[in-house]
Amino acid sequence: MRIRLDIDRCVGHGRCYDLAAALFEPDERGHCRVRAAQVPAAHATLARHAVANCPEDALALDED
Amino acid sequence: MRKENPDAAGVLNLVEQQFVACPQPAYATLLARHRVATAAVIGAPILSRYEDVVWALRHPQLFSSQMDIHLGLGTERPMIPLQYDPPAQTRYRKILDQRFSRDRSLELEPAVRRHANQLIDGFIDQGRCEFDAAFAIPLPCRAFLSLMGLPQEDLDLFIELKDGIIRPPVPPADLVAAFEFRRDTGQRIYAYFEGVIDARLAEPRDDVMSYLTAAEIDGERLTRHEILDICFLFLLGGLDTVTASLGCMLAYLAGHPEQRRRLARDPALIPSAVEELLRWETPVMLVPRVTTQAVTVGDVELPAGALVNLLLGAADVDEAEFSDATRVDFARERNRHVAFGGGPHRCLGSHLARMELRAALAEWHRRIPEYDLQPGETPRVSHGIREVQYLPLVWPADAGTAAAP
Repeated sequence: MRIRLDIDRCVGHGRCYDLAAALFEPDERGHCRVRAAQVPAAHATLARHAVANCPEDALALDED
Repeated sequence: MRKENPDAAGVLNLVEQQFVACPQPAYATLLARHRVATAAVIGAPILSRYEDVVWALRHPQLFSSQMDIHLGLGTERPMIPLQYDPPAQTRYRKILDQRFSRDRSLELEPAVRRHANQLIDGFIDQGRCEFDAAFAIPLPCRAFLSLMGLPQEDLDLFIELKDGIIRPPVPPADLVAAFEFRRDTGQRIYAYFEGVIDARLAEPRDDVMSYLTAAEIDGERLTRHEILDICFLFLLGGLDTVTASLGCMLAYLAGHPEQRRRLARDPALIPSAVEELLRWETPVMLVPRVTTQAVTVGDVELPAGALVNLLLGAADVDEAEFSDATRVDFARERNRHVAFGGGPHRCLGSHLARMELRAALAEWHRRIPEYDLQPGETPRVSHGIREVQYLPLVWPADAGTAAAP
């Protein structure tokens, strides 16, 4: 499973790094930065939850 | 008998007390029947569907935030960054976003918890309070003063200044008196912040006012006018909105004891409960935009230059986006509410607001887990921003066992 971020859509709601700090972190402006695009199997549920809660449709998942 | 609101033609009275106190049934009617409704009296179109509202928020080139209404708010120039659109707005947001990031906002959390406990100390033994005046108004105001680096003694002055703009103490129909009162209050706000700018230029500190005097965009400092136009917006946007959110949330929890007990029992639920209550209550129920060209929504054409109301509150209960939208579920899995707006104008203070709301709900329920609306009383809610201006709460006077940490 891989995370895809469309940074042009991100406006810094910060839901991703609030809900899934293991997978996302804020950049200096508070916009999304993906820690590692490849999601460890143990974090699959967390990744789906965070991606589903992005209010700007800036995140997507490529399932394996 | 009460006139239907919205009526059969889709005309919505946005200031009716029953609507502002409990708007969700009217939202459901709008969503089912009136893709483009109309605001009573002013005649402005209203968009309600989640997809339409989000689309408008994400396209400032069609739905502009740059409008002349600032002239009626006591300001001499547009407020920064709200009343500018990209790309000018983006340059301001880059420096402001950094200072209002989640992590910078969390630095203020201990102060907010301390303020909350001090306020609770003042009334807990009485077993009752009028929540708006006793807690919801002063808490965000104290947080704002801490953030900006201003003395807490200025609390009453700040409440007076923001009220002077938002609800000037003149007869409601006297528009001239309201205009003059706002203009005079605006001058006092400028003069106050002019003094603070001078003080921070002479002696910088670790606060937002110092940050603004030192911040640079492309190597250039902000002008004095720009700093003032930012401060004006902070004062108008940063206090009332959190006040309204606190009131809406406590009013809901007072009226739903099972939900309240769940929250008091399990404070780990607070972050998701805050999101769900922001969705359900959407205290800032609408935001205005102006069309820059003719825009078609469904089968309605909105002309260029039209003032359009984006009804965030209705979008937040749209079944097309939220499953079981009328159910308040503190464990909702997918909650992409627009209570903070969206697109480039996403509320600058959203991280600060989330921190304040979470800290306030945590401290309140730790110390006053059991409370009710005072029997026989009815809360009173303001229109526009849904501040619960009268919310008398009662609790067992010996409930306050846990002291301040």
